[in-house]
Amino acid sequence: MKIAQEVRAGNVIMVGKDPMVVQKAEFSKSGRNASVVKMKLRNLLSSGGTESVYRADEKFETIQLDKKEVTYSYFADPMYVFMDAEFNQYDVEKDNMQDALPYLEDGLACELTFYEGRAIAIELPNSVVREVTYTEPAVKGDTSGKVTKPARIASGFEVAVPLFVGTGDQIEIDTRTGEYKRRV
Amino acid sequence: MQPDLRRFDVFCRIVDNFGDAGVAWRLARLLATLHRRDVTLWIDDTAPLAAIVEGVAVDADVQTVDGVRIARFDAAADAAPADAVIEAFGCGLPSRYLDAMEHRPPVWINLEYLSAEAWIEGVHGLPSRQPQRPLTRWFFFPGFTARTGGLLRERDLFARRAAFNTPRRDAGLDVSLFCYANPALPALCDAFARGGEAIRLRVADGVAAGDFARWLGRPLPAAPARVERGSLAIDVLPFVPQPIYDERLWRSDLNIVRGEDSFVRAQWAQRPFVWHIYPQRDAAHRAKLAAFLDRYLTGVPDGAAAAIRRFSEAFDDGDGAATAAAWPDLRIALPVLETHASAWARRLADLPELSTSLVEFAESRYN
Repeated sequence: MKIAQEVRAGNVIMVGKDPMVVQKAEFSKSGRNASVVKMKLRNLLSSGGTESVYRADEKFETIQLDKKEVTYSYFADPMYVFMDAEFNQYDVEKDNMQDALPYLEDGLACELTFYEGRAIAIELPNSVVREVTYTEPAVKGDTSGKVTKPARIASGFEVAVPLFVGTGDQIEIDTRTGEYKRRV
Repeated sequence: MQPDLRRFDVFCRIVDNFGDAGVAWRLARLLATLHRRDVTLWIDDTAPLAAIVEGVAVDADVQTVDGVRIARFDAAADAAPADAVIEAFGCGLPSRYLDAMEHRPPVWINLEYLSAEAWIEGVHGLPSRQPQRPLTRWFFFPGFTARTGGLLRERDLFARRAAFNTPRRDAGLDVSLFCYANPALPALCDAFARGGEAIRLRVADGVAAGDFARWLGRPLPAAPARVERGSLAIDVLPFVPQPIYDERLWRSDLNIVRGEDSFVRAQWAQRPFVWHIYPQRDAAHRAKLAAFLDRYLTGVPDGAAAAIRRFSEAFDDGDGAATAAAWPDLRIALPVLETHASAWARRLADLPELSTSLVEFAESRYN
C-alpha cells in the first residue's frame, strides 16, 4: 500500500477494480497541516483519462505490471498482433493502441504491458525514424527550422517539419510529443 | 432539470474549537434557511457551537435551531445517508454511515480549507473516486476567485452592515483580538500601552491566555473584565453569537482575526484587519499568507500595503520586536486600509456565494 503523498508518476494504483497509471502527481499543502495530491490518471483497461484529487493520506494498493519486449507483426482486424523473441503472439485492442498508431510499421520494436495476462498498453521507443511520403517541395537555404510545413509519413500521420525537409527524407520523430526532432 | 436534493448531512469534528463549528454552522444554516433544505449537522462537540450560536443546548442529543437539526456525530452511524453529504475539512465519516452510502450513493462533498493560492482553482470541483469503496467524493474549495466555491455570506449581511449604527466614541482606537496563542502579543501590548493613543483592545475570553499572562504577570480575569496599563485598556468579553460578533468587528478600527471563519467575517466587516493564519509545519502558512496579501493588497497604495504586510508577517511569525516596530506604520495606514476594505468586500460580493455554489454543484452531480 502507498499513501497518495508517496505515489509518483509511472506508478500503477488500484481505484476500485481499475488499474490506473499515474501520469502526473502534484502535491499541495492545504490547511491545518493537511495536504492534497492532484493526479492525472489513465485507466489501463479502458484507456480513459481522468483528473482526480486525494487527501495526501489516502491509501492505495499499488501493482507491478509485467512487461515484455516485442515487435509489431500485423493487423488482424480488430486486433494488432505483436510477437516476442520466442515467437509468442500477443493481441492488443485498438483502443489501447491510440498513441502508437501514427508510428506503427512492421517490425516496430516496443514494449507491451500486461495486466492479469492481458496486453493492455504499448510503450513505444521515445523516438522513431520514418520516411516522409509527401510534403511540399523543399526550400533550400532556410535551415533555421523556425518556419514549418506539414509532412506526411506512411501511416498518414502529419508532422510539422522545417522547410528544407523533402519527400523521401528520413526524419526522427519524438513519439511522446509527435514533434519533429531532426533529419536523419 | 436535475432532481431536487432535499436532505443534506453536514459533518463536523471540532479540531480547533470555534473555527470548525463556525464554518459548519454557517453553511448548515444557509442550506436550511436560504436554500430551504432539510439539514442535519452532525457534530462531535456541541460546546463550541453553543458558545457562538444562540439556543444550542450542550447536553442535547438532538435539537433543532434555526431550522437546522443538530445531532451527535457518532449517532450518524445508524442514520440513513442524506441526498448530499458534506464533510467539513475532511473530518471523516462514521464507517457504518459510509457502508450505508455504498447502497445508495449520495453526492459526497469534502469542503476544504480556504486559501488564496492559485493551485486551488486547479483542484476545485475535482472528483476523488475512492480506492476502497464504490463511492466518489468531490473536493470543494472556498476561495477568492470565480473558479472556486467562493465565500459564505448571508443574503442580508450587507443590509445589516449598512443599518448598523457605529456608536459615537471618544478619541482613541478600538481593536478586536481573536487570535491563536502568539508570542508577539506581549510586545504588541507594550507598544499599545506606551504609544500614547488610547487603545481599547477587545479580547474574547480565554484567547491567547498564556501570552497575556506573561505580559501582565498574572492571568487575565474572566469575562467581563477590564485591565488597564498605560494607554491600553483590555476588555475581556464573553464569546457571543455570530451575529453579535459581526457587530464587534463592525465597530472596531482594526480587527485581528484568525483561522477561517473570523477571517472571512473580518473581510465582510469592511474594516482593516490582520490575519493570524493557522501555523503549519514547515511554515507552509507563510505562502498562504503571502498569496492572500498579494490578492488583497492589489491596488492599495505602496506605503499602506507595505505597512500591513510587514505587520502581518511579523505577527504571524510571532516576532514581538518586529510586530511592535511595525505597529506605528500600520496605525498611520488604517484610514487608507479602511477605504480599501470596503472596496474589497464589494469585490468579493461579486464572486459566488459558497452555499449557493455548493448546492448548484451538488445538484449537477445528483443522479
